[in-house]
Amino acid sequence: MPDKLADLRTIKFLLHEVLQLEELLQYPYYEDHSRETLDMAADTAYQLAHEVFWPSYQDFDREGAAFDGQKVTVPKAMHGIWKQCAEGGWIGPNVSYDEGGQQFPITIHALACFLFNCGNTAAAMYLGLTYGAAHLIKTFGSQELQDLYMAKLFAGQYAGTMVLTEPDTGTSVGDMTTTATQSPDGGYYLLRGNKRFISGGDHDLTENIIHAVLARTEGAPAGIKGLSLFIVPKYRVNPDGSIGEPNDVTTTGIEHKMGLKGSATASLSFGEKGDCRAWLVGELNHGLRYMFELMNMARVFTGMQAVGVASAAYHCALDYARTRVQGRDITSKDPLEPQIAIIEHPDVRLMLLKQRAVVEGCLGLFLYCARVHDQERVVTDPEEQQRLHMLLETLTPCCKAYGSDAAFESIRLAIQCHGGSGYSEEYPVAQMLRDCKVFSIYEGANGIQALDLLGRKVPMKGGMAVQAIMAEIGKTVAEAKELAPIKDLAEKIENLQNEVIRATMHLGMKGLSGEVHLFVCNATAYLEMFSQLAISWQLLMQAVTAQKALDAGSDEVNFYRGKIETARCYAGYNVPHALATAQMLTADERTALDFKPEWF
Amino acid sequence: MKVAVLVKRVPDTASELRVADDGKSVVTAGLKFVMSPYDEHAVELAIQLKESHGADVVVLSAGPPDVREIIRSALAMGADSGILVDTGQAGELTCRGAARLLAAALKELGADIILAGKQAVDDDAAQVPERVAELLGIPHASVITRFELGGSAATIDREVEGGQYTLELPLPALFTTQKGINTPRYPTLPNIMKAKKKEIREIPAAQLGVAADDLLGQVVTESMTLPRQQRLCRVIEGDSPERVRELVRVLHAEEKVL
Repeated sequence: MPDKLADLRTIKFLLHEVLQLEELLQYPYYEDHSRETLDMAADTAYQLAHEVFWPSYQDFDREGAAFDGQKVTVPKAMHGIWKQCAEGGWIGPNVSYDEGGQQFPITIHALACFLFNCGNTAAAMYLGLTYGAAHLIKTFGSQELQDLYMAKLFAGQYAGTMVLTEPDTGTSVGDMTTTATQSPDGGYYLLRGNKRFISGGDHDLTENIIHAVLARTEGAPAGIKGLSLFIVPKYRVNPDGSIGEPNDVTTTGIEHKMGLKGSATASLSFGEKGDCRAWLVGELNHGLRYMFELMNMARVFTGMQAVGVASAAYHCALDYARTRVQGRDITSKDPLEPQIAIIEHPDVRLMLLKQRAVVEGCLGLFLYCARVHDQERVVTDPEEQQRLHMLLETLTPCCKAYGSDAAFESIRLAIQCHGGSGYSEEYPVAQMLRDCKVFSIYEGANGIQALDLLGRKVPMKGGMAVQAIMAEIGKTVAEAKELAPIKDLAEKIENLQNEVIRATMHLGMKGLSGEVHLFVCNATAYLEMFSQLAISWQLLMQAVTAQKALDAGSDEVNFYRGKIETARCYAGYNVPHALATAQMLTADERTALDFKPEWF
Repeated sequence: MKVAVLVKRVPDTASELRVADDGKSVVTAGLKFVMSPYDEHAVELAIQLKESHGADVVVLSAGPPDVREIIRSALAMGADSGILVDTGQAGELTCRGAARLLAAALKELGADIILAGKQAVDDDAAQVPERVAELLGIPHASVITRFELGGSAATIDREVEGGQYTLELPLPALFTTQKGINTPRYPTLPNIMKAKKKEIREIPAAQLGVAADDLLGQVVTESMTLPRQQRLCRVIEGDSPERVRELVRVLHAEEKVL
């Protein structure tokens, strides 16, 4: 087993040297914080990931969540993890003092989320979902809802969920049929309908579970504009805060999944007895907008979840490759010469390097997004706020879709490094691959992310969002070109940037000229290309920081050289691929459009 | 009641140690430092005494200013205040030097109970706390696995070869903690924020009247090497019956000792 699942020195490098997190501390909201508080939080999250989350990782898979027809139980170790995290304030580290949090930067919250997912991704889900429900109530809920639920959710006394999917309605949320009817006295709604794939939908962790449910009221418009958001507790909560009657929410089963088995994925039936009470959040018919407000960060977190698992897998592979002795150097002729560690073989080293580039590039991008979010929270200039918001909105589908796909591929390489042992469940990497698969599916399938990027984010405000990102990439490239040892890398990425812009404009013209199907039929390839540019840029940013440290005479030569060469490796193997995609896009590749279903 | 805890800053055992080009020292750039793990048990015990008996918990360490960060970690676990005996950049303290500084600071502080880890995981000397007790002229018990406070005395269990002693010591006294006595808590985020506001008093080492000769030492490091890696250890995984079967198979079929 590896002695670590993530590299703390890299984390500190990203937080302090690349992202300059301390600059945030000049704003009044963060004035109580210091380098020390940020580091202590990061160190503690790292410790919890290794000592509290990780020891039960494989048990979660073997034991799984269980349903006996009446109640759902989570793996035994989950109770201890929950208690530790709830008491430690880890459900909502970024929440304000007034709301029971410690006002940590979102970047620290995101980092903790990444680390917990390195340790045990199924366990980390319960925290994230609870934060999500609490965040919705905090942002859009009435005072009454906030008073009843918010503090208890953030403190882990209650857990939360996000309830969207129905048996016949997954991606097409607008077609959902769960209905909400106003009670005679108008105080609440009565909910009726079935929901499926509800992560954390039922369990024995907490005394109550608070569901944030999308449903349709009578007479609401068809489609997504007719969805409203409701708070539906498993048990009703009396005005004095005590637990009341069961709220007619029935668990009908849990899924038997490929991975993530410790996470209870429930099917729920609301209102079988006609008495499931639901309380409206915000205004009628604004449900999906509220959900999306949260979803943006949730999607970044999903990418992070995937790359957390990939980080753990990478460190398993690195540990294995350093200790597994097999074969000799290709030029060795002597069969009696001692065998060498497999990390000495270039092919294995390349596999490790590719994993490392994905993990460090994606983590860099996620923390960059969280940092942008933090900045958005403190700046007052509306124009700057809008710019930051656009950056975040545009990078979000890349984080989610590229993060999850690249993580899956990265874990595949981790298994490959293990040889036959990787295929055996004795080693944790096989489980990691299974656990990771769902991240490309839930929180908006990756195909939807691609449509979101190309169909919504690229044309946003006349293309200003893309321009904002290109300007940021341009800044990093310009900075890197000033540093002789990495000038070639900067030029390579600049060339890709130009080609991505060209492909984007080409597709934009198709969209504008009404060829909508052609515009979107290669959206997935577009997202991959765009993300490869984004990751190359993030790694270039890390290389710039590293080169400057070396130029300033740092004696951490191995560390900084490692960063520069990781960036070079990623660009070396991915830029040619992205350039080929750009070429394909501008050549209007349209087989998928023209191939008729009956030809299959 | 005042409880003092002695803590030491050491390289994290999980981090990769490298010997510097001079062949006599460890490369500290990029190295992560932590509180010595046995000291964490001492801090935990102190905080439990605070919770059960209202003790005031003071954490002490001697060394360069960087040592503040592990005092702060102890404060984030729940200790009340800290004292840093600041030796500036004087170099590595000897056990004797550290003990003299800490004893001088403790004399001024006047603690009823002094706790420390049974040894630091960097040099494994296991000397400083005992020397402190001797310098203060108070009783001490090392490697304790149980601590019970009763009036003006404490009853403890301590590990000895092949068994255990149960001893009662009159207070003030010094104790060093062994793993198993408790599970050290993790700092909570609220406590991390509270720790920031807690006082760490700095006492320049020069103020404590310890001769410079006593601080640094008579010990000269000639060379330093990392242990040679030997692939002798093998972990057998799986559930217990599976593991036992595999162990028997390995001993029988591969190692041929059964």
